[in-house]
Amino acid sequence: MTTSTVLAAAGDVSGGEEITFWILAPLALIGAIGMVAARNAVHSALWLVLTMLCLGVFYVLQAGPFIGMVQIIVYTGAIMMLFLFVLMLVGRDASDSLIETLRGQRVAAIVLGLGFAGLVGGALYRAMDGTTAVGLEQANAEGNVQGIARLLFTKYVFAFELTSALLITAAVGAMVLAHIERRKQDKVDQPSTMRARFAPGNYPGPKPGPGVFATSSSVATPARLPDGRLTERSTPDILPVRELTAQETSLKGTDQ
Amino acid sequence: MSLSPYAPIIGLFALAAAFSLFSVGAARFAGPHRYNKAKLEAYECGIEPSPQPVGGGRFPIKFYLTAMLFIVFDIEIIFLYPWAVSFDALPIFGFVEMVLFIVAVFVAYAYVWRRGGLDWD
Amino acid sequence: MTELKLPSLDYAALAPILIMLGAALVGVLVEAFVPRRSRHVVQLTLALLAVLAALTMVVLNADDRLITAGQAISVDGPTLFLQGAILVLAAMALLLIGDRSVERGGAFVAQAAVTAESADDRRQAEGRNGLTEIYPLTTFAIGGMLIFVAANDLLTMFIALEVFSLPLYLLCALARRRRLLSQEAAMKYFLLGAYASAFFLFGVALIYGFTSGIPGRGAGVDFSTINAAVTESPTSPVLLFAGMALLAIGLLFKAAAAPFHVWTPDVYQGAPTPVTGFMAACTKVAAFGALLRVFHVAFAGAAWDFTPVLGAVAVLTMLVGAVLAVTQTDIKRLLAYSSIANAGYLLVGVLSPSRDGLSGTMFYLVAYGFSVLAAFAVVTLVRDADGEATHLSRWAGLGRRSPFYAGLFTFILLAFAGIPLTSGFTSKFAIFGPALDGGQAWLVIAGVLTSMVLAFPYLRVVVMMWLSEPGESTPTVTVPGGLTSAALMIGVLATLVLGVAPAPLLDLATGAADFVR
Repeated sequence: MTTSTVLAAAGDVSGGEEITFWILAPLALIGAIGMVAARNAVHSALWLVLTMLCLGVFYVLQAGPFIGMVQIIVYTGAIMMLFLFVLMLVGRDASDSLIETLRGQRVAAIVLGLGFAGLVGGALYRAMDGTTAVGLEQANAEGNVQGIARLLFTKYVFAFELTSALLITAAVGAMVLAHIERRKQDKVDQPSTMRARFAPGNYPGPKPGPGVFATSSSVATPARLPDGRLTERSTPDILPVRELTAQETSLKGTDQ
Repeated sequence: MSLSPYAPIIGLFALAAAFSLFSVGAARFAGPHRYNKAKLEAYECGIEPSPQPVGGGRFPIKFYLTAMLFIVFDIEIIFLYPWAVSFDALPIFGFVEMVLFIVAVFVAYAYVWRRGGLDWD
Repeated sequence: MTELKLPSLDYAALAPILIMLGAALVGVLVEAFVPRRSRHVVQLTLALLAVLAALTMVVLNADDRLITAGQAISVDGPTLFLQGAILVLAAMALLLIGDRSVERGGAFVAQAAVTAESADDRRQAEGRNGLTEIYPLTTFAIGGMLIFVAANDLLTMFIALEVFSLPLYLLCALARRRRLLSQEAAMKYFLLGAYASAFFLFGVALIYGFTSGIPGRGAGVDFSTINAAVTESPTSPVLLFAGMALLAIGLLFKAAAAPFHVWTPDVYQGAPTPVTGFMAACTKVAAFGALLRVFHVAFAGAAWDFTPVLGAVAVLTMLVGAVLAVTQTDIKRLLAYSSIANAGYLLVGVLSPSRDGLSGTMFYLVAYGFSVLAAFAVVTLVRDADGEATHLSRWAGLGRRSPFYAGLFTFILLAFAGIPLTSGFTSKFAIFGPALDGGQAWLVIAGVLTSMVLAFPYLRVVVMMWLSEPGESTPTVTVPGGLTSAALMIGVLATLVLGVAPAPLLDLATGAADFVR
């Protein structure tokens, strides 16, 4: 590996590298365009996976096997999976409304995007033209991964151990925000549900549906029992019962 | 650039593919399958549900916990990679560092496990 | 590959940090293995004992001036002073967080995953005991802050920033009452905080690129290398300026300086009040500790370049904080804007190049921390059936109903306004004096003018409390239990003592005011 990294550092492009590049670069671009163009959010995420995998291979080609592996394991593996999970939490049918809420947002985004592309392109052009990169050969002298190990386990050992605190916080945070702990007495089995259903004072039948009057389509409108009373059992607990006007409670006159 | 250092990775890919094929195949052939018509029916009555699940296939929030735990251990693996590569050059303190790190991450695991984060009820 | 060597670790000097992180680990284990009933007592005791032990180690280390852990941590005067300040203020905040007498079950929600405003949620708000995960999270946050003020390279500083930010994002989301507001606050804080962290990280990358230009020396992000690069590097300083600006954005965000302050009012209002107090006191110390170290140690050679920019930020911060504080109708938002204005005054201290400026800033941080924690302690006490009554109109006539607590709050507000015989006066003096000597008269003028503007909202609250008749809707002041009373009394007494006899702490700060490079 050492010779190949040094070769890559020196800027030699071998045949295999060139072939890989010309196959994967269009794929990466297709993935990027697909991500933006796809209508379904899950498809977007999968296009992004393609781009990220291609980038991972590029990193390996560019004598950075560690960042290549990070790209594939952490980004394509973990981060993309989290993307997908979040999309599924939101619902994959939840499509964004295409109505602009900020006036002129689309134009501004296009102008700024083009400007940014110009900046990056300009910087890249200037960097390719006459700038000599230094330091890569020294950094990769023992091999890329070994060089990272040397820094990680000696100079930055404190920062390395500190990341475990971040990981613990992440796990605790996920538990706190997403996990509902059921106590033993909260876990109800079928017999106790039935017993509660037929206990004295409880009406075992299904609850009546909300009374949707012709003048009100609100589910907060209480239903009318056969004897003419309104029942609050027909409305959801968390909604305040809709107060009906005299016109709404009176008979429609269709029975005459 | 010679790609020979990456030959083991190809081997690993092949191994992973073989394993997944074997697992699926083994389940197909070795598992008990006594199908009958009633078992394959979705409901006793009513229309067949279309492939679209209710609510557009939304996951419950508990999946998020699984995803987060996966990321925690994924990042741990990334640190194991350079450690394993240069294990020979690391004296005993390298081992101690990694053990400390893994113990710290497993504290989080113990917490999630004890509080029922891994239960699937 | 040659054998690697472990850098020397001075465990005694690192002890405060290690104690807090170790206590947090034990705290998570307590969550896993101790029965629910005894968790609250065990966790609170553990957290307080850890803070005490760490504080003891800071005092024992008082004469240390060294850099350890392979250039990652520097233990010197400012580090120890600020670590001590963070620990003392954190102990007070822990007392507020641990209180369960003011509200049944504490200020935190019992199960944060229960849908807000649902029937289950209303049931659990009525008295189920709050989460106890808040203690390990707070302990992690304190540990991260201790590292943040001690970090001697930008990478360690970044990870410390995350270590104390992540628990704070979580803590903000865990209020027992008004949970939607609390979750919104956490979301905003998290998203904007993530942006700020990204800016910081990008700045680190650019600075690393800049340091590679020094002849005969390797690149690095530790402060001595950056310092050498700033003075010696022959390359163009574009990377330096861009990196410095991006780093400053990350740090000023945490310090709540304008124009990176927009999260502050919403987060201060939505977060559980004890957490708001913790953020207002301890995060401020940590953020300014890091700002001091970055700009006094790493970028000292570029002082001519950053002073005008940071000075403009300071003036803008003071103006935004003071002017918008006048328009507030909610006591927590009012205190949030006051905290923004105070960030502006503290920036004036950061820009004083002298030793007195440094010690004045550190003194100000401690004095402000005590007062602001006491203020939020009073806010937790003024409640009605729905929790805290934070709208200012509800505070009208409070002086008639409970003169003692209204009197304490009046005293704290007077301290914020900078009336003599309070710590507010002495600390402003400690900051503006060195700034005048250092030739930063324009900052001092802006500071004095905005202080006068800022006095108006404080005095309006005072007038409202004492000169209005209590109405039907005037809430009651809950008589607090031991923990909140202790925190409140410590805060008020410190505000008084630092106003009457500031000399001992000022001397301590002056003695500690030199960085090890």
